[in-house]
Amino acid sequence: MRWLRFAALVLVTAIVQAGFLDRIALGLVNAKPDLLLILLVFFSLYGIPRSKVAESGGYRFDVSPAIITSFSLGFASDIILVGSPMGTQTLAFGIVGTLLAYLHRIIVIRKMPYQALATFIACVCVGLLVAGLTRFKGQHIFNFRLILWRSVYSAVVGPFLFLPVAWWMRIRTHRLRQY
Amino acid sequence: MRTKVSQKMLFTWLALAGLILLLAPEKLTSRFNFAFARLFRWPLSIGHSVSLAARPRHLPKGTVTQDELRYLNYIANLEQQVLEEHRKVEQLAGLHTRLPLEGAGVVPAEIVTASLTGSHSELVINRGLDDGLRTGQFVLANNGIIGTIVHVEPRQGRVRLCTDPASRIKVKVEGSKIFRVMEGTGINSAKISNVSTKHKIEGNAFVFAQKKPGLLDCPMVIGIIAECRRDDEKPLLWDITVRPVCDLSQLREVGVIVMDPDEHLRL
Repeated sequence: MRWLRFAALVLVTAIVQAGFLDRIALGLVNAKPDLLLILLVFFSLYGIPRSKVAESGGYRFDVSPAIITSFSLGFASDIILVGSPMGTQTLAFGIVGTLLAYLHRIIVIRKMPYQALATFIACVCVGLLVAGLTRFKGQHIFNFRLILWRSVYSAVVGPFLFLPVAWWMRIRTHRLRQY
Repeated sequence: MRTKVSQKMLFTWLALAGLILLLAPEKLTSRFNFAFARLFRWPLSIGHSVSLAARPRHLPKGTVTQDELRYLNYIANLEQQVLEEHRKVEQLAGLHTRLPLEGAGVVPAEIVTASLTGSHSELVINRGLDDGLRTGQFVLANNGIIGTIVHVEPRQGRVRLCTDPASRIKVKVEGSKIFRVMEGTGINSAKISNVSTKHKIEGNAFVFAQKKPGLLDCPMVIGIIAECRRDDEKPLLWDITVRPVCDLSQLREVGVIVMDPDEHLRL
């Protein structure tokens, strides 16, 4: 993993997410695509290096980079979201990203419709987890319509962003095979 | 020598860090938000300006423009000030008193970043403790109140808009004597609950934020009733929807009411 490139990518994405997405917000709920969550899905799917040959044959996948990137992206999401209790996004991103990375060891997701589906499911899961954790913090904020719209929006936009992100991170998205 | 950390341990440590962040006091954790807003103030401000400039400005027929709304809010505030003054004159006849908001100041502030999603409606402004801002002070735009200060740092402040789901502001509806709490809905509006249908509520009536000792001397307009209908679940109560005094997504600058300002800030 190229960590410097990753840090630069997260920084730029966080600034864009915080300041430049109001123009493309949709509907009464002001739904915007969650760029950091799209990155989460990307790194959970493609940020796991195929490290060693396992004893049973085939390859072992090192999920550690995906875990680190998930929590880092969650922390970035916490920082840019004014008014949200800190830590909710960090935990939600971390849990969902790690689960997705483990899942990707079993199921390979390469086609765009599946990438969109993975983004949608991840976005809904993160939204529900954040709502639950926010409730735990004493704020009763749950807007399922917003979660749904944001998930759909992110799922539509996400797969198109995978290619430039893969180019920037020098990751080949089509190298993974099921063994 | 490089230490090898197992994936489970790594996840546990990072989850623990997340839990610490979650349980840490908001006063401490919000410093991260402010640090981000301060460090990247320039690109964030550009982004905000670009978004505002690109937003379509044509309004449907019959809609009041922002300038007209500003004057309407101003007139409504003046009327409330006169009413307040009359009340005081009646009560304290013969005693010296001062005009409401006399001596108060407004600290102008630029918006650094705005979070106007369905779950949060908050702003970060470029004024803070050093400029006389304190938690609880009311924030103005278009001659009307749009929210309150919820957190201040030396050079920055966080404003919770009246449409935020966590916002609770005591209000009074124009022409009535009922005082209720107005709660934000998160979708660019607020609700006033627990108003009996015995009370007559008119559409397009102004809603006033109630005076608060040390923070607001006189009621000021905070919104306009957009819809008033019987509550589906509780038919004996009104379900009142209030729209803010201005288009919150179009805001560039706001003012913070400081009741005991420095000399140069006095109204």
